[in-house]
Amino acid sequence: MIELQGIEKTYGSGSVATHVLKDISFRVETGEYVAIMGASGTGKSTLMNILGCLDKPTAGRYLFEATDTAALDDDALSHFRNRKIGFVFQQFHLLERTTALKNVMLPLLYADEYPDDAEERAEKALAAVGLTDRMLYKPNQLSGGQQQRVAIARALINDPHLLLADEPTGNLDSRSGAEVLGIFKRLNRERRTILVVTHDPAVAEHANRIITLKDGKIADDRPVARPRDAEAELAALPREERQ
Amino acid sequence: MSLSRIAAEGLRSLAAHKLRTFFMMIGTVVGIAALTVIMAIGKGTQREVMKRVNAFGVRLIKINAGGGKGYTKPQPGIVTLKLEDADAIRSAITGWDIVTCVAQKGAVPAKAGDRQCETAVFAVDSDWHEAMEWPAKQGENIAPEDMATMAHVCVLGTRLAKALFGDDNPVGSDIQIGNVRFRVKGVLIQHDAGPGGEDENHRAVIPLTTGLRRLYNQNHLTYIRVRMKNADDVPATAEDIHRLLHERHHITPPETDDFSIVTSREVADAARGISGTLTALLAVLAGLGLLVGGVVMMNILLISVAERTREIGLRRAVGATQRAIFAQFLMESLSVTVIGAIFGGAVGWGVSVLLPRFVKVITVISWEPFALAAVFALLMGLVFGVQPARRAARLHPVEALR
Repeated sequence: MIELQGIEKTYGSGSVATHVLKDISFRVETGEYVAIMGASGTGKSTLMNILGCLDKPTAGRYLFEATDTAALDDDALSHFRNRKIGFVFQQFHLLERTTALKNVMLPLLYADEYPDDAEERAEKALAAVGLTDRMLYKPNQLSGGQQQRVAIARALINDPHLLLADEPTGNLDSRSGAEVLGIFKRLNRERRTILVVTHDPAVAEHANRIITLKDGKIADDRPVARPRDAEAELAALPREERQ
Repeated sequence: MSLSRIAAEGLRSLAAHKLRTFFMMIGTVVGIAALTVIMAIGKGTQREVMKRVNAFGVRLIKINAGGGKGYTKPQPGIVTLKLEDADAIRSAITGWDIVTCVAQKGAVPAKAGDRQCETAVFAVDSDWHEAMEWPAKQGENIAPEDMATMAHVCVLGTRLAKALFGDDNPVGSDIQIGNVRFRVKGVLIQHDAGPGGEDENHRAVIPLTTGLRRLYNQNHLTYIRVRMKNADDVPATAEDIHRLLHERHHITPPETDDFSIVTSREVADAARGISGTLTALLAVLAGLGLLVGGVVMMNILLISVAERTREIGLRRAVGATQRAIFAQFLMESLSVTVIGAIFGGAVGWGVSVLLPRFVKVITVISWEPFALAAVFALLMGLVFGVQPARRAARLHPVEALR
């Protein structure tokens, strides 16, 4: 589904040049659940930006469903992100003073054609993350976990081929984190391709495959023999902690 | 992408930040309000000037006894303006149509039967009716024979006729003016307000000769009216008359003139009055308001772009093109100025209606200021909105999301 061939990313030039990514090559097939792991400063955020078509590599090719993203200009990349990629960020990045429903509908605003059933779609997306009763709440009225679930609903509203999550549980307590990972697990079971960038091995172990970065290079790329099951772990937590 | 939905997005952001929006809008409101008031005053003044100039007459040169500049009134007690001056003007000046003399007194007691009041008395040449385009509506005008025979006849203004005779027809009756008996020959037609806006219908008109010899016992005039055939000749002829009378009255500067010359230009200047100063003041206010308001709005927008960097980054991540971001921010600035102009127009309209109650100005409300306000609003929104919108659009999504 996506293929990276010799991706390099360099900031600056000459003697002050910083090589953040060096010769990164890998493929991800449709329906995979991949964690990209590494300590901070190993270039995983940069890699995430390139995978999300937010940034372009200095060298190498990034093929997304056989499209060479280097050939796309800024407008085309914007449309590409809108249709094919759903983002989940560590800081949620919800619009303040805006209801959950409106937040989820945001990507539709930038679609080629605004769908007639925008609101129903957003309601459905929120229902899928268990927030039917919170649709008209604003971010400051929601818990961190709920906010991140709104963000996931937003990421899914355009039915993207790739879900890209950057430290999705970084700002959450363990229960909310487990809920988010549980949703990812379910989405993956529905054959959605998921890429999670994290420094946390406990998060990475939920994926089916872990790519480890070190100093801007791939240090390790291996399948996970027995991925952790977030849904099962959540069910095992004491009930009274549930919100 | 749909522009109307992007615009709605901008409006939602404005509504969510009311105080910020208020500060962005205030300059436009003040500027546009001042602009509409200026134009209402300008239009009102223009109409008033035209009215007064027409009431005075564009072909008229009036020579008043007594000095002064601008739109002056004759001064009682100045005895140097004579019939001979009028004769000299008739022979020295070309292009005149009618030269007519008036000796006027105010507040003379008048009596008819048991009714009495005070009135202005105008002793005039027989061509006065034609010069003033002011004939009698009942009875007859003052005639040349009345002049020759020093007849004791008079023509009344409508208000004086009403005061002395009520609704009765005064023609043929006798009245007493001062200590002299006059027969009423006619009643003048009702006159609109004069060039100074005064009511001119409370007057008695009598033959000049009768007035000078029998009533006033004097040989000086109050003013001379010179009507030119051609309005274009008025300024030059006024100069000529000025020189002529200087000579005849032996005036050498720095001695002040014992007469003054009024033409429609002086009347127009007087009619403009304080509205000129007021308009200039408001024009400065409007200009400053729009400029300062625009700059303030631009700065607040720039700050808001900086504050909303993450929002912009997020929008870019979920698919907003640079154009969409640009459009949203430009729509915000346009909405601010257009809504500001609507408020400003409303304030300006209100002030235009209320101002004449407190200040001596005339305002006329028309559609033009509001059309101009709309144009200004769009222009301001564009001029001061483009820079912040461009800055927002050019933010790199990766930098913006950090």
